[in-house]
Amino acid sequence: MNYALVSVALPMITVVLLFLVAAPVYSRLQTLVTGGLVIIITVISLSTSWLALLEAAAQSTTSYLAIGGWEDGLAIRFRLTPVVALMLTFTALIHLLLALYGTFSRHGVPKDYWSLSCFLHGSLAALWLSADLFNLYVTLELLSLSAVALVALAGPGAWKPAADYLLLSLAASLCYLFGVALIYGRYGLLDIAMLTVVVNDDLITRLALLLMTAGLMLKAALWPLHLWLPAAHASAPTAVSALLSALVVKAPLFILWVLWSQVAPPVMAQQIGPVFALIGILALVFGGFSAMRTPYLKVLVAYSTVAQLGYALMALGLLLAWQQPEMNSALWLFVIAHGLAKTSLFLAAGQMQTTLGTKRISGLRGATQTTPIAMFAFAVAGGSLIGLPPSGGFLAKWVLLEPLLSQPQNWPWVLGILLGTLVSAAYIFRLVVMAFDRARINPPDISSDHVGQWLALVPAVLVWGMALAGEQLIQLLGEGI
Amino acid sequence: MQLSWSSLLPVFILLSSMIPGLLIFAVREEQVSLRTTLNLTGVVLKLFFVGLMLYGVSRGQDFRFALPFLPNAPLVLHGDALSLQFVTLSSVLWLATTIYAIGYLGKAQLRSRFFAYFSLCISATVGLALAGNLITFLLFYELLTLATFPLVVHRGTPESLRAGRIYLAYTIGGGTMLMLGVALLHSLANTQEFIAGGYLSDMAEAHDVGLRVAFVLMILGLGVKAALIPLHSWLPQAMVAPAPVSALLHAVAVVKAGAFGIIRVVYDVYGVETSTNLSLTQPLLWLAAATILYGSVRALQQQDLKKRLAYSTVSQVSYITLGVALVGPLAAIGGIVHLMHQGLMKITLFFCAGNFSATLGVHKIQEMDGLGNRMPMTMAAFTIGALGMIGVPPIAGFISKWYLGAGALQSDAMWALLVIMVSSLLNAAYFLPLVYRGWFCASPQQGWPAEQSWPGQRFETHWMLLLPPLFTALLSILAGIFAGSFFSPLGWSQFIVAREFSL
Repeated sequence: MNYALVSVALPMITVVLLFLVAAPVYSRLQTLVTGGLVIIITVISLSTSWLALLEAAAQSTTSYLAIGGWEDGLAIRFRLTPVVALMLTFTALIHLLLALYGTFSRHGVPKDYWSLSCFLHGSLAALWLSADLFNLYVTLELLSLSAVALVALAGPGAWKPAADYLLLSLAASLCYLFGVALIYGRYGLLDIAMLTVVVNDDLITRLALLLMTAGLMLKAALWPLHLWLPAAHASAPTAVSALLSALVVKAPLFILWVLWSQVAPPVMAQQIGPVFALIGILALVFGGFSAMRTPYLKVLVAYSTVAQLGYALMALGLLLAWQQPEMNSALWLFVIAHGLAKTSLFLAAGQMQTTLGTKRISGLRGATQTTPIAMFAFAVAGGSLIGLPPSGGFLAKWVLLEPLLSQPQNWPWVLGILLGTLVSAAYIFRLVVMAFDRARINPPDISSDHVGQWLALVPAVLVWGMALAGEQLIQLLGEGI
Repeated sequence: MQLSWSSLLPVFILLSSMIPGLLIFAVREEQVSLRTTLNLTGVVLKLFFVGLMLYGVSRGQDFRFALPFLPNAPLVLHGDALSLQFVTLSSVLWLATTIYAIGYLGKAQLRSRFFAYFSLCISATVGLALAGNLITFLLFYELLTLATFPLVVHRGTPESLRAGRIYLAYTIGGGTMLMLGVALLHSLANTQEFIAGGYLSDMAEAHDVGLRVAFVLMILGLGVKAALIPLHSWLPQAMVAPAPVSALLHAVAVVKAGAFGIIRVVYDVYGVETSTNLSLTQPLLWLAAATILYGSVRALQQQDLKKRLAYSTVSQVSYITLGVALVGPLAAIGGIVHLMHQGLMKITLFFCAGNFSATLGVHKIQEMDGLGNRMPMTMAAFTIGALGMIGVPPIAGFISKWYLGAGALQSDAMWALLVIMVSSLLNAAYFLPLVYRGWFCASPQQGWPAEQSWPGQRFETHWMLLLPPLFTALLSILAGIFAGSFFSPLGWSQFIVAREFSL
């Protein structure tokens, strides 16, 4: 538990440090110093969360920490489970990759990125650890505010999407908060482990859960409440888009999972499960379809987030409907595989956009020659989204498929996965094929940034490398909470 | 896990082409000798390792490597007799194609990329051959799709991009089907290792529906690459690729991967008995027979040389499926040996077609008049390949057809024998005119469409273009003449089938 706390505290301390070392002028040296500091801190945070993961994996029970030493019911509690520890590690890893990119890529990140991204890292880490509904709300708010600020860093063009994001995010928070208030009024409790024992199937509980669900779905951009996402993610600076798609949308999903698999009574969970799964399939199909049709590169990647969240939602829905703990590993494998792949896709897309001087997909003609490494990263990461073996996306899909296929009455759900696979293949390969064009090459505007391209490839390689730890991951995540 | 020489050998075979392939990505365009050295080192090493393994397996040694991957489904590389036959074919033909490609591409652009993907493509093929269970097979099957795609669209023209799109649509769709089939089978019986006679016989009754669905899904997936109708349309389209790619695609890599997969599924997953009991082989047999006839008829209609060869592949590869689906030991020998023989003969034909177009600009069949005077050696190789395809003794194709025919009789399927005979007649009808034009018609008055010569050229064409078809043509004659010896493709196939049918 102590390791986990260090992992949360470090990014928060860094925010303060960064204010102290902040210089008014923006120079290369400044970037190196700031970036270097963030990298060092994130590496420490990553190592401590790794130690926390080892600790959690070795223990059979969930470890709790009551902050301030108050007794249960009164205290704000943190809890550490294998899933939480893994998400802590994953968050630190993505943050580290982006910090490396921001420091060493020529295109880099805006000056104010560093403190905000550290703040985002810290609040997200606190969110994973939180064990009561109100604390989840607070951390989620902190997370959303830093995310909105990060989007706005892109300049005036991004202000409108950022403002929309802010407004919707606030509305969603209110919805969630109202639900929390109802729960508190009904049971006088907010701690999840305690609620699990007392919660009943009654009207107020139902209403509360539905309100919270609506708020969370809006925040996670789950179909059909996803309309704000493509604009916000596509207009943000490259590293921010990666941060948003890989991490931020996963937080409301996590709360949704906690809510329905741990707080809600199983009967209610079984009722809502098929609805979630169905929405997941619709997200896969419609999100994928929009990705297939858009003329803009980053919008394609953003819509693919909407589609891929469909897989996660489908896993969550089937987990609830059948109460099968194995689905937990499918859900979290999707989250991790998608996060890594998406980081790579956004970084590669950003590299290609800047080098080729266009935001359009048609500008990628001949990209296998003009920006070969970035294009390779894009294709490799895309392979994981499609779920080609042995990538992380494949692991997740495999785990999801097994329980579906073992019972003939579940086979119709397989159709959803089939559709999802084909649609993802269509939008990824549409772009890849174009990049092989040698007849109408779009010449680059500036010389390409090799370091940035290679850094874009790193997460793509990592997501395929998940295969090496496939069995351990599935086992670790399959235990549930 | 114990690492020993015998467990690492399959990995070495795989890496001997994969590592050079990855290194070649980093080689600059003008570093010709470095690239060639890397390529040839890979080829020589691979042939050496394959030779070692052949020696070991013939003496009863077991080569197996395993790595944990999914629960109850590890990655397994296992060198058994059947996989070795395919590995040997790929390695030998890789040697020929590499030399050919170096000559063919000359000073063209993007050679590093080409050779890198070329090596990866062979690695995927070899991995697929060595795969010890379905999940490993699936993995390399998909990698093969990804590695061949850049080769198909290598020219980067709108036409080749279109072919690439069609290729991907078919192969990714097929790959998804295969994945579903493999996953379904895994949920029924876990992923066990390939074993002669299959591992599903205990559950054939309890799960007959599930097993049938899985079989259909897997055949759909494999049928795309094996170009079974109606899943074959990508193959003639993919002809826009450069000649070495077509040669490799048609003889070894892609279509053979599908056919090889069908052999694996029928013999080593379901087993002959179980697949007959579930009445799965009969529809497969009809499909194969229909594809053989359809491919032959379509080949007859083509006026473009490469297209005609492509449809001929559609037809010829289905002989393998036919041999498998006839479920008798003789037919099985015919099918498995045809995997080798068709590879040798078809690659010869594609090399020759590539030579005609690279040297003289001849693409159409009408333009082939008098080719024998201008390029006698290439035309001779072409003739050997064509006669072999028809089934003229003593060329390898005769041996396959002989065993297939005998197998049809053994399995009491007279009509299958008829299919083979009709198809042979059709083969003759679309190959003999080419041979006739080449040797007996007069060369065109106005000269060749686009004649090209290389500096220091001694023979009818560049020696790197000439040597490979002569080599493979020679091999296809030798495979026919020495069919009786143990180390011929036939001898080895008999060895495989004896184990499959526990004779």
